[in-house]
Amino acid sequence: MSHIHIPDGVLPPWLWGLGLVVALTAVWIAATVAKRADVSRKVPLLGIVSALVLVSMSSEIVPIAYHINLTVVAGVLLGPWLGIIAAFIVEVVLALLGHGGVTVIGLNTLMVGSEMVIGWALFRLGVRVLGRRRVRVVTVVVTIVTLAITTTALVGIVALAGGGGAATRETGALDPASLRFQNPFGGGVFSLNALRGEAPALSGHAATELSVKRFAAVVYTLGPIGWVIEALIQAAVLGYVARVRPTLVFGGALSRRPSPLPVHAEVD
Amino acid sequence: MDIRAIDLSATAGRSRLHGAAAGAKLASFALALTAIVVQHNVLVVAAVGLGIAALAVASRLPSRMVFGLAAYPGIFAAVFAFAAAPDPLTGSLFVAKAVGAALCAVVLVCTTPYPQVFAPVQRIVPEVVGDAMLMTYRSLFILAEKLDRLRVAVRLRSGLGRRHPLLAARATAAALGGLVLYALDLSQREYDIMRLRGYEGRLRITIPPSREPAFDAALVLGAAAVLAVAVWFRLAGAGLTPYSWLPATLGLLALFAAVSWRVTRR
Repeated sequence: MSHIHIPDGVLPPWLWGLGLVVALTAVWIAATVAKRADVSRKVPLLGIVSALVLVSMSSEIVPIAYHINLTVVAGVLLGPWLGIIAAFIVEVVLALLGHGGVTVIGLNTLMVGSEMVIGWALFRLGVRVLGRRRVRVVTVVVTIVTLAITTTALVGIVALAGGGGAATRETGALDPASLRFQNPFGGGVFSLNALRGEAPALSGHAATELSVKRFAAVVYTLGPIGWVIEALIQAAVLGYVARVRPTLVFGGALSRRPSPLPVHAEVD
Repeated sequence: MDIRAIDLSATAGRSRLHGAAAGAKLASFALALTAIVVQHNVLVVAAVGLGIAALAVASRLPSRMVFGLAAYPGIFAAVFAFAAAPDPLTGSLFVAKAVGAALCAVVLVCTTPYPQVFAPVQRIVPEVVGDAMLMTYRSLFILAEKLDRLRVAVRLRSGLGRRHPLLAARATAAALGGLVLYALDLSQREYDIMRLRGYEGRLRITIPPSREPAFDAALVLGAAAVLAVAVWFRLAGAGLTPYSWLPATLGLLALFAAVSWRVTRR
């Protein structure tokens, strides 16, 4: 399911606030771990793979509101620590492009990051069990399992949000029962009875709950279509890369490769 | 999302909003976004959105791109609303919030070059994250162009033809796989180039001074006023709801005025 397409201001502040704190802590830990190695070498790689995920996310399958994510591919190429950082970068850029929501950056980072980490772990396990020649099969299974797990996590987030004030809304001058607009001049526009705390009888303040069951039914119905498409694409991509340059998939993109620069030209 | 068009708009635009200090725009963005977050009245949320739309029109931002980008999360919000909202009005609130917040972000990135947008984030996150963020945006242009070329190449080889779906799938997968390999090679090349240029683990961003400090102050004050109205409507609860059409009408008038101004001063 990848990232959450829930608008800003729908989830309760404690939930997105907690998500932000946990995500920033995870990113900080990941950056600290990554720093132990040659950190400057990872910057372009992180940037490129994050950009790759963003480019893939720009192609949407409109009827089911799904877009390709390449998160498992990114996880396999980057590994778990860099994967978490890449997830954060992707979500910040997406939020700035108006896609994803700013307040849910933390929760989205956790969702995409967990997809990369779970995908990476299951892929390595799958290759160990089935062998390197079955990269495509492993990727299909891993992608579907990973997406199913994160979709369940998404339903869990909505369930956590659903009971509280998540869907609380004032109805404006619209009566939700009759769907008719109230005449605000009825009591005299200058009387501003609102300032005296007298609530008009017709306008409503409805505290309603998100329908978790309906939400789960929709995502578990539409989601699998996207999972299969995503799994096939990611399997094809990883299969191609594994065939052409196996070290990237099995050794990781950070495995040492000879630099075209002479040693004395490097700046330390 | 056409990242190149966004960058062109941010760097080549000549409006007062383009010339405003990045800090002022970021602060205004945060205030307007908070107004959308705290407000549960669909008409007030729509008013904030209309006000930002008026600002976008008055700044001569490319309308199709800006409103297209802002509408994009509306599709997902509509699906979420259909799936989870208890009634149509709440659903419309979800969509209004998504589109309003997206409009805020899109106006920000369409009027501010990306290094200036990322500069404050870069200061608070670990250096590897901040630098990678800048590299990501830069790489987006390269990869988007490469993907366009790959699409043409695949089409020329009948890869996207409907008659041979298997061939199409293979060609598309090879194209995407090629893009991944290209991206990884590019990262290695970029690393070598950065090292040659003296990269030591921190990309420095210089933020230009403000051209019109008075306009910056007006922008922030305007956004603060919007937030104050949103908070007032929230605190007043149901008491103010019969009057919530007033901000929406004001927003509509502002948009009308901006469109008229843009048309007459072509």
